[in-house]
Amino acid sequence: MTDYGHDLQFGAFITPTAQPAHQAVELAVVADRAGLDLATFQDHPYQPRFHDTWTLLSYAAARTERIHLSGNVLNLPLRPPAPLARSLASLDVLSGGRVELGIGAGGFWDPIVAMGGRRLSPGESVAALEEGIEVIRQVWAVDRPGPVQVRGEYYQVVGAKRGPAPAHDINIWVGAYKPRMLALVGRAADGVLPSLGYLPGGAEDLAGINRHIDEAAGAAGRDPRAVRRLLNIGGRFAPTGRAFLDGPAEQWAEDLAGLALEYGVSAFILAADDAPTIERFAAEVAPATRQLVAEERTY
Amino acid sequence: MTYGHQLTFGVLLDPDAARPGDGVLLDPDAARAGDSVERARLAEELGYDVVAIAEDPDGLDAWTLLSWVAARTGRVQLAAHTSVPPRDPAMLARSAAALDLLSAGRVDLTLTTGERAEAKGEAEAIEIIRGVLDADDPRPLTYRGEHYRIPRMQRGPLPAHRIPIQISGYAHSLLQIAGRTADGWVAELAVLGPDGVAAANKVIDEAARAAGRDPAEIRRTLIIDPGVSTDDLLPLIVEEGAGTLLVRSTDPTVLRRFVKDAIPALREAVGKTAGTVPGRSAAVRAKRRAGIDYDRVPASLAETAVEPGDVEYARVRNTYLRGGAPGLVLRPRTTAEVVDALGFVRAHPGVPFGLRSAGHGISGRSTNDGGIVVSVAALNGIEVLDEAKRLVRIGPGARWGDVAAALAPYGWALSSGDYGGVGVGGLATAGGVGWLAREHGLTIDHLRAVEMVLADGTVVRASADEHADLFWAVRGAGANFGVVTSFDFEVDEVGDVGFAQFVVGAEDPAALLVAWGQAIEAAPRDVSGQLILGPRRPGQPSFAQVMAVVDADQPDTIIDRLQPLAAVGPLYDQNVVLLPYAGIMANAAEGYHRAQGDPVARSGLIEHLTPEFAAAAARMLASGAVHWFQIRTVGGAVSDVPADATAYAHRSANFSVVAMGSDPRRVDAVWRDLYGYFDGMYLSFETDRSPDRLTDAFPPATLARLRELKRRYDPHHLLRDNFTIDPRGGQR
Repeated sequence: MTDYGHDLQFGAFITPTAQPAHQAVELAVVADRAGLDLATFQDHPYQPRFHDTWTLLSYAAARTERIHLSGNVLNLPLRPPAPLARSLASLDVLSGGRVELGIGAGGFWDPIVAMGGRRLSPGESVAALEEGIEVIRQVWAVDRPGPVQVRGEYYQVVGAKRGPAPAHDINIWVGAYKPRMLALVGRAADGVLPSLGYLPGGAEDLAGINRHIDEAAGAAGRDPRAVRRLLNIGGRFAPTGRAFLDGPAEQWAEDLAGLALEYGVSAFILAADDAPTIERFAAEVAPATRQLVAEERTY
Repeated sequence: MTYGHQLTFGVLLDPDAARPGDGVLLDPDAARAGDSVERARLAEELGYDVVAIAEDPDGLDAWTLLSWVAARTGRVQLAAHTSVPPRDPAMLARSAAALDLLSAGRVDLTLTTGERAEAKGEAEAIEIIRGVLDADDPRPLTYRGEHYRIPRMQRGPLPAHRIPIQISGYAHSLLQIAGRTADGWVAELAVLGPDGVAAANKVIDEAARAAGRDPAEIRRTLIIDPGVSTDDLLPLIVEEGAGTLLVRSTDPTVLRRFVKDAIPALREAVGKTAGTVPGRSAAVRAKRRAGIDYDRVPASLAETAVEPGDVEYARVRNTYLRGGAPGLVLRPRTTAEVVDALGFVRAHPGVPFGLRSAGHGISGRSTNDGGIVVSVAALNGIEVLDEAKRLVRIGPGARWGDVAAALAPYGWALSSGDYGGVGVGGLATAGGVGWLAREHGLTIDHLRAVEMVLADGTVVRASADEHADLFWAVRGAGANFGVVTSFDFEVDEVGDVGFAQFVVGAEDPAALLVAWGQAIEAAPRDVSGQLILGPRRPGQPSFAQVMAVVDADQPDTIIDRLQPLAAVGPLYDQNVVLLPYAGIMANAAEGYHRAQGDPVARSGLIEHLTPEFAAAAARMLASGAVHWFQIRTVGGAVSDVPADATAYAHRSANFSVVAMGSDPRRVDAVWRDLYGYFDGMYLSFETDRSPDRLTDAFPPATLARLRELKRRYDPHHLLRDNFTIDPRGGQR
């Protein structure tokens, strides 16, 4: 049993489809009104069926009131970190502190390269992400003296002015699965954001993910609780329970409470592109899961 | 001189100007952020045409701010003044497309050079941005320049409108780029002075002419300080051709004063010399097709017309099933504009002409190669005329999914095909075999009146009492007689319905067809549906898809009705849901049509699925020439209507049969064996254009009457895209 004691968050993972142009925005508005905590969009800049995720996030942030927004996850290889940091801070200011940074090292290198990006090996991409995070944090650190100074292998940002200052401490959540990336999360990130569907061993793989992060955090002198464990999930509502996250809302709540209590997952982001599912997740699953976890935690 | 652009006014939310001297600033960024958004909204409210946002190295990210402003405004144009680098042209293009789609076509780009005086990569950036946005080009974008290299990226998304790309700067190199390739040039008056503007214009004009462009293609935008007097501005407009003035200010008082004092005075003073819609660029005109008099497009249609070089072309060239390359697409929004459009078509007697509602037609091509298409998509109103009589008026451009959704709140439905993306106009002038056909008849059986524009441009109303002959003809052969601009229907009360989808084994397709046909004929009229078979694939099990709608809201009744259908073959999968009729019709794909090629479809109407017919159908499926075989139910209420009551005459059939393939000779070779069993056909599912097919679509008496009416109403044979009846043809 691993439980890092975080408050539970619930979000939507919305396809940033370019057609119909407003579908993704409207679903973010639905998620906002339904009371979810997060609206997130994947980011594949080489995929023209999708909106540019940053533009969509900015537009959706302006159309929502309360919900936090994040890429899930933004593509660092095609989004240089210094301008990205400035964009994030800008949207955070505009939205009153509702932006978080889900970021990834890049996975689909062929289309990245086809668009003019640089191909990196897995190891290189981890190092590049670590440098990128450093650049981003330095840009945001307006109270620190002097300009941004990162002389990295992959990013050299020397002498750039810091700022603007974000409106709140923007969380950096990293899409991570493998030991080197998880170690980076433990050292430098505020959260880990894998997709349950990509875990070859299913939810049980979360134990290994946690172990790598916790060890790296400890080695870096950080409290493992500084790293939130987020999870992209998929499922469907059905009148009777058939399988994990395939059944009625009450069953979903039990499934998710299990993940929260067993593996310390504290943010569940549901892949959903229809309003009824988002509304049901918010109205029925989220409160029931919170209640189950709260009851269990009081023991 | 002027360049003929419509004079527009904007506000440049310049970070330097935004540094407020008034008010208390606790958090400068936050205050300025809110400030910029409020100023943008104010500018829109005051009637400015443009809000421009410049990069601010010390402030907020310009693109993020512009995206935010886009979401908080509704009309004003959004101009991004930004630089490459740091922005990457390909990524900027993707971002611009997204914001243009989200803001319904309000984005324009101005490339600035920041501290740098000379051009460095701007020309390449423009090429790349345009290349990414050219989503109509199916080839990937490859670019090898001095500054940028793109190995092979996918283009798109297609923006909502042609995003203008302007160049800002003063160096000769930048003016050259402006003249050679950009859509506009932006400069600060305070930097150049009036003489400098004149000199720069000269360089731009010369560069434009040298590149084979009309200097008028390049809009000239001047950034002005609010203090400049109207007297000083006027010559810049009338003599130097400034088309846009951007006031650099964030002071509400200044913005209001400029709107109140300067803009009306300037507009009035230049009223006679400026203000036309800018023409298409040389590059766009170069893609025009021969035989079409583009300069004579009626003024009412010019703004919405689409030609091959336009961004919008990708969205209108193809249909659901066909690739096309029309030379001109006219998009009337009113009956009067339809009259204008047909006038233009009449002036082009030798040019192909297609008529389109939503572009789903099989018999009606509604696209062509090098011809004219009149799309009535904008005539898409859905209006209740009389709630007590359930009388609704629907435009031809509405789609049936939208109609179903609009009628649902009243508890009404109009049976109309099985796909929500089909347009009203084509289906409601041909027949309309829908999910409730056996209970409620064809769509045309609910028609009470139409307004239509005849070939000669006359607007008439046709009903049982007015132009009764036309009203008869329009119900089954409407495409021959005019452009219907509105349909009055009496619709039905329909509550929730049962919708079943079964997968049944089809190892013996002939036996399956016979069993299904018998089950349908034995079923009460509240059951309608269809059966779909594909070709046999060697070594693989064969399946049929059986779908049915039961107009009943009691689960017991629905199950009762469905049992015989589920028993026609081994049942492999089933899904039965109770839902509103509109829920079944909410099945249309989103986005514009991207079909390529030209399908082959054959149609036949038949009374009974006899063992002999079924055996022939099984042989056809085994041949592999047909990749889609579909039988829909008619009969029932469809057969209640006398054969001579409408131009759709084959009322005795119980089934409408369709086969689709790609090779007409192969399809015909196998279709021939089925042909003898049919009693006519439903023209909407037939692609064969040979005149013989007319005699299948219309029995002799019907055809004779149609031909006589065609001679009267369309003697010059204007309407010829969909089962055309040649007025000169003989009596078959």
